Amino acid sequence: MNATESIAARYGSGRNVRRIEDPALVQGQGRYTDDVVPPGQLSLVFVRSTVAHGRIVAIELDAARATPGVVAVFTGAELVAAGLKAIPTAPAFKRPDGQPMAAPPKWPLAHEIVRYVGEPVVAIVAESRAAAKDAAETVFVETEELPVNVDPVRALRPGAPVLWEGAPDNISAEMRHGDAAAAEAAFARAAHRVSLDLVNQRVAPSPMEPRSVLAFVDEGRLTMRLSSQMPTGVRASLVEAIPGLKTEDVRVLVGDVGGGFGMKTGIYPEDITVAWAAWTLKRPVKWQAERLEDFLSAVHGRDVTSRAELALDAGGRVLALRVRSIANVGAYPSTTAAAIQLLIGPWVATSIYDIALIDFHFTAVLTHCAPTGAYRGAGRPEAIYITERLMDAAARELQMDGAELRRRNLIRPEQMPYTNPMGQTYDSGHFEKILDQGLALADWAGFAARKAESAARGRLRGRGIASFLEWTGGNVFEERVTVDITPDGMIEIGSATQAMGQGIATSYAQLAVEVFDVPIERVRIVQGDTDRLNGFGSAGSRSLFTGGSSVRVAAERTVDRGKQLAAQALEAPLADIEYRAGRYAVVGTDLGIDLGALAGRQPQGHLFVDSTSNVAGPTWPNGCHVCEVEVDPATGAVAIVAYASVNDIGRVVSPAIVRGQIDGGAVQGIGQALCEKIHYDADSGQLLSASFMDYALPHADGFTGFKTAFDTSIPCKNNALGVKGVGELGTIGATPAVVNAVVDALASAGLGRDAERVQMPLTAEVVWRALRGDFGPPVFAAPV
Amino acid sequence: MTDLTLQVNGQPQAVAVDNRTLLVELLRGDLGLTGTHVGCDTSQCGACTVLLDGQAVKSCSVLAVQAAGRSVTTIEGLARDGQLHPVQDAFIACHGLQCGFCTPGMIMASVCLLQQQPAPSAEQIAQALEGNLCRCTGYVNIVESVQLAARNMAEAKA
Repeated sequence: MNATESIAARYGSGRNVRRIEDPALVQGQGRYTDDVVPPGQLSLVFVRSTVAHGRIVAIELDAARATPGVVAVFTGAELVAAGLKAIPTAPAFKRPDGQPMAAPPKWPLAHEIVRYVGEPVVAIVAESRAAAKDAAETVFVETEELPVNVDPVRALRPGAPVLWEGAPDNISAEMRHGDAAAAEAAFARAAHRVSLDLVNQRVAPSPMEPRSVLAFVDEGRLTMRLSSQMPTGVRASLVEAIPGLKTEDVRVLVGDVGGGFGMKTGIYPEDITVAWAAWTLKRPVKWQAERLEDFLSAVHGRDVTSRAELALDAGGRVLALRVRSIANVGAYPSTTAAAIQLLIGPWVATSIYDIALIDFHFTAVLTHCAPTGAYRGAGRPEAIYITERLMDAAARELQMDGAELRRRNLIRPEQMPYTNPMGQTYDSGHFEKILDQGLALADWAGFAARKAESAARGRLRGRGIASFLEWTGGNVFEERVTVDITPDGMIEIGSATQAMGQGIATSYAQLAVEVFDVPIERVRIVQGDTDRLNGFGSAGSRSLFTGGSSVRVAAERTVDRGKQLAAQALEAPLADIEYRAGRYAVVGTDLGIDLGALAGRQPQGHLFVDSTSNVAGPTWPNGCHVCEVEVDPATGAVAIVAYASVNDIGRVVSPAIVRGQIDGGAVQGIGQALCEKIHYDADSGQLLSASFMDYALPHADGFTGFKTAFDTSIPCKNNALGVKGVGELGTIGATPAVVNAVVDALASAGLGRDAERVQMPLTAEVVWRALRGDFGPPVFAAPV
Repeated sequence: MTDLTLQVNGQPQAVAVDNRTLLVELLRGDLGLTGTHVGCDTSQCGACTVLLDGQAVKSCSVLAVQAAGRSVTTIEGLARDGQLHPVQDAFIACHGLQCGFCTPGMIMASVCLLQQQPAPSAEQIAQALEGNLCRCTGYVNIVESVQLAARNMAEAKA
């Protein structure tokens, strides 16, 4: 075995390596934003609205200003007077009347009106956090309370409280997709029709590190160090918001990020306030969000209420899919929030099924809730939940095995590339192969015996399946990567994608090792500095297939560039130079030069390559997830007892990381299915689930026995690595697989199709009530 | 303000603290030990777990003055002579961490568990870590990490 093979065999793509991130993190040497404390740092604390809707009449600040240690106090009116701008929405989406998407101006601090509980109203900056909190306690915000609505269905009814005068009907934006008349004709002639009313409840992304922002002025420039997935976007938003600030005046730095899950993709009003405080006070200012503040004012995910219908022929072939969805995008929707619900979800709604006709009507409505935004999957979990719930309902209607009904509707491999009715083209996929493997791994055929065994113990066993695909990518396909080789032979790779715990640095290093053929210890990955690199950042499971592909290209370009330089240095023809294991050599001689030495000979003293490259399109990872549950009929408690999944994820760079993404993601999906719910009080708009005491995150004593398999034989054709995004697959599959299993258990326990009326989260109480025929109030009290 | 002395990671420390200062605030603030994290306000998440006289405690729920005269071990104090503690090493080997924010607390709680129960079952591990939240891993590899650490520690003793 030569050196080349041994290095690639140990560290390259497809191998399990110890993550390069981990030695620091397990020793408490991570550098999260709050770990950085510059001398003279001030602490900023927000005073937040205690009412869901009100007009600010007066703000009493004298006592706060007089509190020892307080340096400055800011209000919304002062920031507006200073020329700060509201965070804009892009004109991409429209209201039904053709006007641009409606959203009230999202100021850094509330101005004149507050529209949800927890909206930041006053910022207090003090020498210590304790002093700032003491001062915050003294602030009195006098508000004239206005009518409140937190219910998206109610928001559309005449007479509902109006969130903003720019949208008297509370509609922020709306989209219709497909052919309503053709779909209606299909429903009219269909042998079978099924209809479900489904609530995809609001949930909190809950990265373990809450938001964290440090701003300071360094050599006349505003420097922001924060926990973010998109540093360049933060820079752009700051420049838009703060008067006189130019792009070159701002540097955004991101260190370790304690989880993102989409929640850290955009700018928050709080970020702008912190930046403004540092910019005007000329001192470092830190805001460390408390968990309460993340529950109150970080974006929530999901919150879509739908009536979904499927038309099928007598043989179980789907003729048309019709979905009417009302998405609660909260008080100050962003363009992203609208895109997730109006566009990204619909892109995958027909999933892996050959469904020709769709009729989608999606409305994003304004309510007195916190804004929604990206949360792991962002639109695809909502869409797939609908499709997979409908598939099981149809199977029950046709008295057919759910897997068989799905099989009859699968897109066949020979249809690839396949363009779905939303105009989205899947490059690759062999869905029946994945389905078959999933059924085998789950021992689908052996279920009856397990169900009987559970019944003997007094438990109701149910089985659920979700076979599905998703889209990854953010539709931004270009990435810039820099490679910097220093005389010590170290290879530094810079990327504008952003680590947030997913292990992307290790995966990039493995890709670099494959090209450079050196031990992984010689590779260093640099991210999170807008002075060095800018781009879209990390979201939508895009980093490996876009950034990783660009790392491969940049590394190859660097080796090629080095080959030219080595030819000059060694005074040999280019064709005679070969590269191996960090060294260029003249073929057939013992003449050669190490990569580091070659770099050191360059005029700048190092070898620097700046490389930009593209992939051809998104990826369409897919999977078959099968869950089995046991329900205790006495208590309604649901226990997951088996979970098997087979996932088509293309080629794999870091197997352990991929498995960690899928299993960890599945637990998030299980959390939504069984326990998580953001709950606003209907009358007052108060957030009742504002801590981990009231918002139930999965704990260590939940299910961990996943059987997870990959099919790596179907590479993505849109990128040279052949990889497909894996960050969201587990979350998207788990929620419908678990809920379908519970519905199956309840249906076969005598509820029949009534069992389909249960709504997430399927807590013991919800299931116990369902077993006694209580499914709560109807989802839609009136036609929609 | 109260003057107090305590041992932190084997070193004596003399500090003056505001009486309301939490142990985690003292560790992260004056002592600069930022490996101990704060993930919630209600002592649910366990990211701030440290050992107080060898017992795992949530340092957000202990006043600094309560640690007077006592011994505190944080994540920074686990490695010996450049050698990772077996639990730290096992978390790396089993991919028991992703973002790493909950990890110091998870590791400290696991160290405490293994001192009391050198060979816990998967169920006992899950039970012991029930007070530590992780949003990334789904706990799958955390449980495996603790099992591996237990095996490695038993072998090292044998």
